[in-house]
Amino acid sequence: MKGRLIIAVAALGSLAVAGCASSSSGSSTSSAGGGGSSSAAATACNTSIGFMGPITGPAAPVGGDQLHFAELAVQTDNAANHTNIKLVQGDTQLNPAQATTVSQEFISNTSIVGVIGPAGSQEVKAVGPAMGRAGLTFISGSATNPTLTTGPNPTFFRVVSKDSVQGPQDANYIINNLHPKAIMIVDDQEVYSTGLVSSMIPVFQQAGIKVDHESVSQKTTDFSALVAKVTSQTSVVVLPWQLAVNAQQFGRDLQQQHKSAVIFGTDGLFDPKSFTISGSYVSTFGPDITGIPADAAIVAEATSKYGAFSTFGPPTFAATHVMDEAISSVCKAGQTPSRSNVLAAVKSTNEATSILGQPITFDANGDMVNAKFFLFKIDSAGKYHLIPS
Amino acid sequence: MRLFLQELVTGITTGALYGLVALGFSMVYGVLKLLNFAHGDLYMVGAYIGFFVIQWFGGAAHVNIPVPLLLVIMFVLAAVLVGGLGVAMERFAYRPLRDAGRIAPLITAIGISFFLENSALLLFGSQFREYNTPEFISLSSGIQVGLVTIDSVQIMVIVLALALMLGLRLVVNRTRLGRQMRAVAGDREAAEMLGINVNFTIAATFFLGAALAGMAGVMAGLLFNQVTNTIGFIAGLKAFTAAVVGGIGSLPGAVLGGFVIGLAEAFITGYVSSTYTNLLVFGLLIVVMLARPSGLLGRAQLQKV
Repeated sequence: MKGRLIIAVAALGSLAVAGCASSSSGSSTSSAGGGGSSSAAATACNTSIGFMGPITGPAAPVGGDQLHFAELAVQTDNAANHTNIKLVQGDTQLNPAQATTVSQEFISNTSIVGVIGPAGSQEVKAVGPAMGRAGLTFISGSATNPTLTTGPNPTFFRVVSKDSVQGPQDANYIINNLHPKAIMIVDDQEVYSTGLVSSMIPVFQQAGIKVDHESVSQKTTDFSALVAKVTSQTSVVVLPWQLAVNAQQFGRDLQQQHKSAVIFGTDGLFDPKSFTISGSYVSTFGPDITGIPADAAIVAEATSKYGAFSTFGPPTFAATHVMDEAISSVCKAGQTPSRSNVLAAVKSTNEATSILGQPITFDANGDMVNAKFFLFKIDSAGKYHLIPS
Repeated sequence: MRLFLQELVTGITTGALYGLVALGFSMVYGVLKLLNFAHGDLYMVGAYIGFFVIQWFGGAAHVNIPVPLLLVIMFVLAAVLVGGLGVAMERFAYRPLRDAGRIAPLITAIGISFFLENSALLLFGSQFREYNTPEFISLSSGIQVGLVTIDSVQIMVIVLALALMLGLRLVVNRTRLGRQMRAVAGDREAAEMLGINVNFTIAATFFLGAALAGMAGVMAGLLFNQVTNTIGFIAGLKAFTAAVVGGIGSLPGAVLGGFVIGLAEAFITGYVSSTYTNLLVFGLLIVVMLARPSGLLGRAQLQKV
């Protein structure tokens, strides 16, 4: 009896450690300023905007790119519009709780009239209602969950497409171009992944493709047992995952077992540093702006200042540019930028062209009109190549 | 047949890893009746040591010493340093609580687990560190068994894990230290009265258990390529389960428990679905525990009444 009691206590202990393991996100390095009142003069157009992103933590490469491009946009727009917009940084570590803390700092800082970010859909869900109550406009360059723009976040906008577009678009590409007889699709038991899987499976089934739906935890590191199930008929394995290192290991297990199936990943796997399995496909919401001639100056400046960058940066540049232009238009109308007039100006955004190579306008829900996903293929050297749409 | 063989190889490989970590769990429980929940974190520290050794010698793509020598250094350094960490853990955290009942050391063990996990977070960051094993050990090297290729890393892990298990068995059954360990496990006070240095024996037990966990961490890094500060939790949980299923305190039981879990995971994933792997594996374990509450090779404890 005593032994069983010990085992039971031990089991409780293990759960406690589990809680620790899943929530160990480190400390914030948010530099969100405090206090301050809206003292901007209309003529000088002095004001501040916040930046929310994973500046540190596992998603720091994403947050770093986003911060760099936000800074670049503010610098470029300040020079072009004769404004004096300051960027206040807030580190969310891709953690909804941390994002909530940062959002509260921004909400209480009355000099901030708009926010760029946050990066993750789960963070938008966490901060959206409070940002809405504060009338604080926020524009994300990477949050793609479809439900974000269905009502609960009235001041939310995004310059990227949504997963309800990505899932069917990717599935149709696979059907029409890779012609598989059978596919394996593996979710990683997170909302992002299961949502995409649900939107893709019906498309495959309608096309008469045999689907093997599997599920592994995001904490899984050994995929060899699962890879053994990939049959000779299975020519595509779809991985709508968020951790590129896991997909890399899955690809190595495929190679080790001499399986010829190609991996098709969604935007969570777009990571040229970590996911380099030759022949794989990855879709993402940001275009490769190095191939857009009108962006040559931005590409040159970003490269000289920050080195190589991923597709996560340019959409954040676009989001920041939308905010900067809205503030500038308020100032040009002779008003002092405030949360309400900036919100109205963002709603009426109508950019004929943008860094993304397409116009930017928003529908009534805050979604960018005609936003789409872009598809890349990885070559034998691990380089990503845009597939023309 | 190919699927069967592939799942068999996978099950044996992961089972060997689980068994190796479970041995340390079981040894410490056998001697101190302590469930050392920080044991999985020793595995994590070992995996980090292996990673930094690779970086030290030029990185995965440019290893500047012969690969066999690199592997020897990785395993020896992980064993010595993690073994030392295990001894320090015993000396400063568990020894003062040796007579404080069972709950206090258990809570301390959880505290040490938090401490190690968060120390690694502070020291090494939360990003994944990658071994990139295929950069220095080719995936195509290995042997062909029927339709299945067993690569050289898998062979090394299986052979080394089995050798370490056998070596530990020899130490416990054939050496003076092993006799002392068994004496302390049987009756600590009687062993002390017979002149056995109990503190040394317990420290040696921690060293051996921790060293095995450290080497298992290096093997995991070589097999699965990625290290973060949280990988010890899952490994520790699986090892704890293996030790309990095999019969906690029984060293052959820990090994058997490791293989049972590894093989069950592989075959359920292969023949049923990965969606149900944890559900069915742990359901199976509940059935085993109901049928044999003291584990597969554990002995029921007799109590005086």
